[in-house]
This record gives sequence, C-alpha cells and structure tokens, in this order.
Amino acid sequence: MLQKIFAMIWKDTIVRFSNKSELLFFLILPVVFTALMGGILTPEPDVDARVPLLLVNEDSSALAASLQDALAQSDTVQVQEMALAEAETAFTDEEAAALLLIPAGFGEAVMAGETAVLDLRQQPNNSDGDAAGEAVRTAVSAISQPVAAARSAVEEAESHRAFASVAARDVFFASSLEMAQDLLQDTPERIVLTQPESSNVDVDDYDPAAQSSAGQLVTWVFIPLLGVSAFLAYERTQGTLRRLLTTPTRKATFLLGSISSNYVQALVQMAILVAFGVFVMKVNWGQSLPALAVLLLAFGLAAVAFGVMLGTFVKTTNQASNLSIMLGMVMALLGGCWWPAELFPPAMQTAVKILPTAWVMQGMTDLIRRGQGLAGILPEAGVLLGFAVVFFVLGVWRFRFE
Amino acid sequence: MNEPILMTDNLRKAFGDNEAVKGVSFSVLRGEIFSLLGPNGAGKTTTISMLSCLLEPTSGTAVIGGHSITNDNLRVRELIGIVPQEIALYDELTARQNLVFWGQMYNLSGKALKARIDEVLEQVNLTDRANDRVGTFSGGMKRRINIAAGLLHKPQLLFMDEPTVGIDPQSRRRILDMVKELRDQGMTVLYTTHYMEEAEELSDRVGIIDHGELIAVGTQAELTKTIGQQETLRLHLGEGFTGEEQVHLFEDLPGVLAVTALNGEVALSVTEAEEALPGAISRANGAGVPVRTIDIEEPNLEAVFLHLTGRALRD
Repeated sequence: MLQKIFAMIWKDTIVRFSNKSELLFFLILPVVFTALMGGILTPEPDVDARVPLLLVNEDSSALAASLQDALAQSDTVQVQEMALAEAETAFTDEEAAALLLIPAGFGEAVMAGETAVLDLRQQPNNSDGDAAGEAVRTAVSAISQPVAAARSAVEEAESHRAFASVAARDVFFASSLEMAQDLLQDTPERIVLTQPESSNVDVDDYDPAAQSSAGQLVTWVFIPLLGVSAFLAYERTQGTLRRLLTTPTRKATFLLGSISSNYVQALVQMAILVAFGVFVMKVNWGQSLPALAVLLLAFGLAAVAFGVMLGTFVKTTNQASNLSIMLGMVMALLGGCWWPAELFPPAMQTAVKILPTAWVMQGMTDLIRRGQGLAGILPEAGVLLGFAVVFFVLGVWRFRFE
Repeated sequence: MNEPILMTDNLRKAFGDNEAVKGVSFSVLRGEIFSLLGPNGAGKTTTISMLSCLLEPTSGTAVIGGHSITNDNLRVRELIGIVPQEIALYDELTARQNLVFWGQMYNLSGKALKARIDEVLEQVNLTDRANDRVGTFSGGMKRRINIAAGLLHKPQLLFMDEPTVGIDPQSRRRILDMVKELRDQGMTVLYTTHYMEEAEELSDRVGIIDHGELIAVGTQAELTKTIGQQETLRLHLGEGFTGEEQVHLFEDLPGVLAVTALNGEVALSVTEAEEALPGAISRANGAGVPVRTIDIEEPNLEAVFLHLTGRALRD
C-alpha cells in the first residue's frame, strides 16, 4: 500500500509540474505577493508619519511652555517651531496642514480666569489639518485641567472667607495649581490590561510583514489544496480512475494516495514560504517550532479535506479549478489573510469563524504577534482538525468513482 | 486449453429500468481468444466492466481463475489485465513513466518492473519512444501503450475492449497481430468488437451479443453452420429509394430469407445466391433502380448476426 501511495505522489507531482506555469502559482506569485504586501506597502520605519504643525510661540509663560510640551509629545502632530513671518510663508505654501499661534499674554489671561485666545489656522478641506486641530484641542484640554481645578479651589476658598490681599490670593492660586498638576500627573490607573501568562509582551503588536507572510502563505497554499478536487475530476475524465480500479488497488488506497500527494506538495510549499518569511522578510515565525508544525499540519489537512469534499460536487477539471479559485480567494479574504481580521466589524468577526482560513490565521497571529507556544494554538489546531474530519467524512461518503 | 478460466452464470446488470446485460452465461477457455461480437450498445463494455470488478452485477455470478468477481475481487484483479476502450494514460508522463506507475499499481517494483517494461515496450514496438511524453503520441501509438500497460503483470486473462476503435489501418494491423502473438504465448484474451472481420480473424470462439443478450456462442464454423448454407448477396444500388423501400422491394423474392439495407447497399440472405441473383436484378431494373455492383459472400459472422437478429451488425 505504501509503495502505491508513493507512486501516486510521484505521478501527481509530475502531472502537476509538467506545466511550467504551475511554478508561477506554487512559488513565484506567493513570494512576490508576500514581498509586496509585507514590504512595499509598509511605511519606512524611520519616516515620521505625523502631521506637521507650525508653531509660533509669542508667550513666555510657563503655561505656554506646557502647551508646547504637550504638543511635542503628541502622536498626531510633529511640531515645527518658527517665527511668525516664516510660519505664515510656509503655511501659505502649504508646507504644513496647520499653524498654531500662541499669542503674548496667553498664560497670564488663563491664570486670570479670562478668556485666552489661540490662533489656529488649518488648510481648507484637508483631513491632516483637521487631525492637527484635534491634537491642539487635546493638548489645550490637558493643560487646562489643572488651571480649572486651581481656579475652582480659589473660588471655593473665597466663598468661605475673602483673601486678605490680591497677593495672598495669587499665592493660594499658585499652590493650588501646583497641587492639581501633581495630582493629575499621579492619576491612579483605573483599567489594568492583563495578558495570558504565555504572552510575550516584548513582541510587537502589529507587523505588516508578519501579517503578509502568514496571510499569503494561507492563501497560496489553500487554493491548490482545494484543487485536489480538480485532480480527482481529472482522473475520472481521463479514464485512469476506471483503469486504476481494475488493478489490485483498493479505493481507499487511491483516495489516500491522491490526498497525500497534494498534502505533501502543500507541506513543501509551506516550508518554502515560511523560510522566505524568516530569512527575507525577517518575520518572527513564533518561538515554538512544534506549535508552528502542528498548526500548519492541521491547516493542510482541513484544506485538503475540503478539496475532497469539493470533488464530490464537480464533474470536470475546469469546474473544479474555477470553483477552487473562487472559493479559495473568498475564504482567504474573509479569513483575514489579506488584512487583519480585527479590522472587520464585530458581527463579521464572529461569522467568519465558520471558515478554516479564519482559524488558521488566528493561530498564526497567536504564534507570530502574541508569541504563544503549543498550548496557545491547540484550540485553533483542534478546530482545524475538526473541520478536516467533517470534510473527509462528507467527501468520502459522497465520492463518485464513476 | 479446455479448462475454463472464466465462467459466467446468468450475469445481469440493470441501471434503473434499463437492463444493459440480460443474464449472460458463457465460459472462456485458457489460452483462447474469445470475442464478444455485437453492435454498439449491445452490452459488451458493461459485461467487461462487471468481469473486471468495476461494476457490481445486479444478479448472477462470474468466476475467474476460481475466484468470484463479487466476493474475492482483489484476487480477481491480480489475475486480469484490462485494455480499456478509451486511452487511460497520463498525457503528461512519458511512456516509461506511465508504465512504471501502472506496474506499481500491479505490485511490481525494482528491477523486475524495469525488465518487464523493456519487454512490453519491445512488444508494442515503442522502445525508441519510451522517454517521450504520451501526449505527443499519435492515436495508434497511444493505443499500443494502452495495451502495454495492461500486459505488464502478465495477466492470466486479458480483457481488450474494442482496442482498435478510431485508429489508422497500419496501427490496427499491428494490434491484431499483437493479440495473436499474445495468444501464441499462452495468454487468454477476451476481446470485444463490433468489427466482424476482427472477430473472424482473431477468435477461437465467438459470442454474439445484442441488446444485452448473448444470442449465440461457438467457433466460427459452428456458428455459420447454424444458418445452413446461407449466402449473402450484396447489391450496391443507385439513388432513388430509401432503405425501407429497398427492403420492401426484395423481401418477397423467392429464396430470400432476410433483407437489410444500409447506405445504398442491400444485403439479401439467400439459400442459393446464383438462383436468387437474376430475380434480384430483374426486380431492381423493374423499379428503375440501377444496380452498380454485386457481391456474393460465403456464410460468415455477419450473416449469422443477420440471421439471428434480422439486422446488420452496423445497423
């Protein structure tokens, strides 16, 4: 039986690769797509992607300095401080989406409880300008909180007993402001994020190269594995299946041989794409080789079993090929192979759980981005093996040898 | 030679309401070429499919080499070889690669397989094309590799299902000679065909099958004897009459036993051709139908089929 299975693997491999264009789908396109999706579309790590904000600070107060600090720490804007004339020229030339002028007397007005005016100019119909405006409002809000708190403290004290002098009132205001700033800085955490013990907190949360490497692997391996249906249809239409069943070869041996050949080819393809991910894309394919092996083996079984089931519905190789490509692409897209599933609406994230591609991508995310080991991916591998059992049973039960 | 290697008893196959094979019983003796002769759709391929364990009989039994085709089919499949009607090969593989694969399916391997492949390639005269892809072969060459794949494991009984369909005369001649060589080497062959000439040339015995029924079995001499000294008078007529009109024109002539018409040719089964000929010519002239050629044939399988079914083999 083993000799016959090896013979079928050998024969199917020659048949598949007799057409040189098959190498395009087996190797070239997967590698090119992985590189494209993971490399070219990812921003250069050294480039600052923040929105430029021209800042003119004409106020020497501590409050103006605090506002400038708050803006400098923003993830949204990149502050470029300059003189007013220079800033206005740059803004007119549309070198920046927004210009913020902190006028002289800004800090003093705020301390006095008067209305302080900031001059914020944004390029019209420009989303970067809107983003810069929002960042400025956030920074102003951050520095306004202690001022508002200090002012409330002064008003509350005056409601009980008037200050002896304006100087005493100013001293009380200053000490209240300092206390409010200290308290806001030491605000206790009210939400604590916990992660499983196996989680490796040092692993980056999102890596486009890793997403591409995993997603493209699943896509380009999944579609040919569905193509086992085309192989079965080919044997039927070619008449070789009828001949094969007149030899002393059991039907089960034939099915096992056909499945094994596609499965072995898929394992080789997966190994190549993982190696490409590790050595070229510098993807951290997890720290557990057994976990990776279990996940990929389970995924391969689920996919090839799905192909066997598909083979019971098709009559010709053309039907099988078209259906494999169509279903494979749709399932890869919905399974999160081309972009992270986290971007899907919650209802869709739940709905796609019926797809094996969603489970293998979840397992790969656990491995690559969350640094989990064998225990972490066992649920996903278990579900994939469950898919494999269901699809195999349906496929073998409904398989037509004629 | 007299020991049967295959025996069928009331073998029957129905597909729903359609009864393709209606209880055939016959035996094939070791070392002989036994032909199943019948028109397309007669049930030849269905019979072969049951005997080669591809189809489960609806009822009846068949035993090959002492093993039942239903209860011991794995053992039966070791004893038989099959040359299917369609070319069942992988176009993408070379001739040798195809033979390696099929040999392994018959549990052959290693040096024994390699040696056997060399032998059968020699036998089908394709040694020089062994390493070419089958997809590049002509129809006749593919047919020969198709036969070679069925011979690899030296089967005790070889089924050949219309192996000459759709090929050129030269390749056909090679295949017929090869079948006779196989018989001379001691192989038993069950050969199906709708060509009377092939059955006559090859067969030690013939089974005539029509509409799923085996209507006669025997040597050619035995079969022609059943129709007495009948001869066939073939008249090639000019245009002007339909086949049905041609049949009506001659059917009541004295000495005419049966009439069939096909493609402008009328075949009269007669007891004595020389006596019937003047009447036939006179009848054609009277009807205004020109007679272009006349052939008189001695009793043959075509006549037997005509006698038994009232139809020509090609109807």
